Amino acid sequence: MPKPLIVLTDLAKKFGHKAAVDKISMSIGQGEVFGFLGANGAGKTTTIRMLCGLTKPTAGRASIDGLDVWRDRFRIRSKFGYVSQRFSLYADLTVRENLRFFAGAYRQDHINEKVDRMVKEMDLEPYRDSRAGKLSGGYKQLLSMACALIHEPALLFLDEPTAGLDPVHRQQIWDFLYQVTQSGTTIFVTTHYMDEAERCTDVGFVQHGRLVAKGSPRQLKQALGGDLLEVHVEPPMPAVLELRKFPGISAVDLRSGRLRIHAADPQALVDQWQQYWPFPGLKFLGYSWVEPDMEDVFNAYAQGRHSPNQVQAALK
Amino acid sequence: MNLFDSLKAILTIAYKEFVHVWRDRRVLLLILVLPPFFTLVFGHAFEGSNVRDVSTMFLDADNSPESQKFAEFLHGKNVLDALVEGSDNPDKVRKDISDLLQNLKDTFIWKKWVGDAKGTIDLVQNGADAAIVIPEGWGKSLQDGTPINMRAVLDGSDTNTAPAVQALLQQALGIFQLNERYELIKNLPEQVVDLGEQLSPQTQHEFSSSLTPWEFDTQILYNPKLLFVDYVVPGMVGLILQLVTVTLIASTITREREVGTLSQLLVTPLRQSEIVVGKVLPYLFISMFLIAGTIAIGHIHFGIKIHQPLLLSLVCFLFLLCSLGLGLLISAFSKTQTQAIQFSVFLLLPIMLLSGAFAPLSQLPGSIRIFSELFPLTHFCRAFRSVNMYRADFGFIAADLIALAVGAVITCIGAAYLLRTADD
Repeated sequence: MPKPLIVLTDLAKKFGHKAAVDKISMSIGQGEVFGFLGANGAGKTTTIRMLCGLTKPTAGRASIDGLDVWRDRFRIRSKFGYVSQRFSLYADLTVRENLRFFAGAYRQDHINEKVDRMVKEMDLEPYRDSRAGKLSGGYKQLLSMACALIHEPALLFLDEPTAGLDPVHRQQIWDFLYQVTQSGTTIFVTTHYMDEAERCTDVGFVQHGRLVAKGSPRQLKQALGGDLLEVHVEPPMPAVLELRKFPGISAVDLRSGRLRIHAADPQALVDQWQQYWPFPGLKFLGYSWVEPDMEDVFNAYAQGRHSPNQVQAALK
Repeated sequence: MNLFDSLKAILTIAYKEFVHVWRDRRVLLLILVLPPFFTLVFGHAFEGSNVRDVSTMFLDADNSPESQKFAEFLHGKNVLDALVEGSDNPDKVRKDISDLLQNLKDTFIWKKWVGDAKGTIDLVQNGADAAIVIPEGWGKSLQDGTPINMRAVLDGSDTNTAPAVQALLQQALGIFQLNERYELIKNLPEQVVDLGEQLSPQTQHEFSSSLTPWEFDTQILYNPKLLFVDYVVPGMVGLILQLVTVTLIASTITREREVGTLSQLLVTPLRQSEIVVGKVLPYLFISMFLIAGTIAIGHIHFGIKIHQPLLLSLVCFLFLLCSLGLGLLISAFSKTQTQAIQFSVFLLLPIMLLSGAFAPLSQLPGSIRIFSELFPLTHFCRAFRSVNMYRADFGFIAADLIALAVGAVITCIGAAYLLRTADD
């Protein structure tokens, strides 16, 4: 594991009686691309905001590069960039004015050159003098990232940077993030897209404010316990509903027209179905064994099919 | 070098804030057009303080020569020849009488009498503001040595008009009585004059003195023509600027909170104090420009004289700074722009009524005046009027200037403190 850059120790935040973040402890190494996954309301954004010094932790502590995120928040602000969940730039300022403003706010020198370079790198050249509010969603996000990176920070926080974007822009943003990591920048990113989680070097799952698993995508997939059964049944939509009710099956996901079966003993199901197919309205066309992907992992955690203890045990 | 960095950061924010205002054309139009426009309208609305056009029912129930003469006098006819003749300074008396007659003509609009002369008189039902009755037997009673009183009915719900009308009637009656006295003296029989000359010279003089009306020689300082506009324009200018500054700046932080840019701002190394100063600066610039414009209108259009412009500029500067601080505090405190505007309105209401912008503070009870001292507009009005009407110097208004400066510092520090987290 590389040298830890971010360290969380029992970090917690309560809003009234509700614990938004419940004693999260973990560390993130320098140069990692850390994916922070979890359902809506699981506590991802609150965690990021605490790490950025925007809200005060109720208990526990966290540090970036050895500095406390709350007590030393003024000192660490120049060390990281933050792209918040929704578009948070000045809509009535142009692309270049926004960049110039943040360059000034981060006390940069040679502002003009930096802004021009950033405009080029982000493909924003045709829009350099357009109002930020008039840009399309993808370009807004590129501009947000450009503003967060104008001071060349060693760490970048991104809160759902690709939410609601089309696949082309998602691709573009991840390509750019990859480029950023090449210079050693650490990335802390939350996302709902599991194909994006695959790109992370390390992933954490948070549920109800608790960290339920953390590891590389490979480790997490292995913790799920071997290959998954995928059956080919027509028509697929009613098949999902029928199979979910079948005894011995804990979950069924539809993926590219095939049905992924989560069950305690999938081999037994296959043996049984090959002898007798119990659904007269559905056509059984075949089966195969597939490696679980991050979506399977996410579903398993989100639906509570994996208890933290199980995971910890599997990871060891 | 650190200070230089801070200055650059402040200018970065100030420039951005200025662009926000500059690009919001509707708000820009509003703040450029409304203050001068309001100054014109309000200035004319409160220009004259005199009571005018009081709709008055009049009844001469006596219909004697005396009552007819007084009625003619009230209606604006000069019947006071004896007074002019008997005076040592007839020109002055003639002038005073003509002023009084003009005042009577301006004050009253005479209405036909409706209803009973002796019973209760209803003003509202008859569409009148006042009623005057010369009772039956008034003329005769003057000759009996037992003068009976005239009757005036006034509308007390209008606290300005009733005392003004009462005072004018009293003044008119007094002058009329004086004229009758001179007429009496003029027509005294020879015997009485002879008898009088037998009195000791001392007694004669005393008698003569007691018959001459004793008067004040009144000198009106500071606003000799009693122009209400001179008094009210500083109040208006202050009130308009108070309104503009507070509502303009109150939305700046809350807007950033609502849109989410505040979080983005707070993760930069900008200090809270730099954000506050950077936000106040452009609005200070804009409002200094506005206050100069509105005062210029007061000067050019209403002929208000400006004395000690440097000291007045200092008063304006501190007032605007304090008002902007107040607006910024509201802004930092509110969660949404709607809330900020609501807070502003609720704050501006007492400021309007209790700051002495339109009526002197001395009319308020002492316990209420404590609140007045909390409002920047109170100090502005007092300091501005002191300087411009009383020609006061720096020392005289130091207390108000200090209050404004302290207010500015406290509100700005409060706003900066509230900016320490982006929690909503």
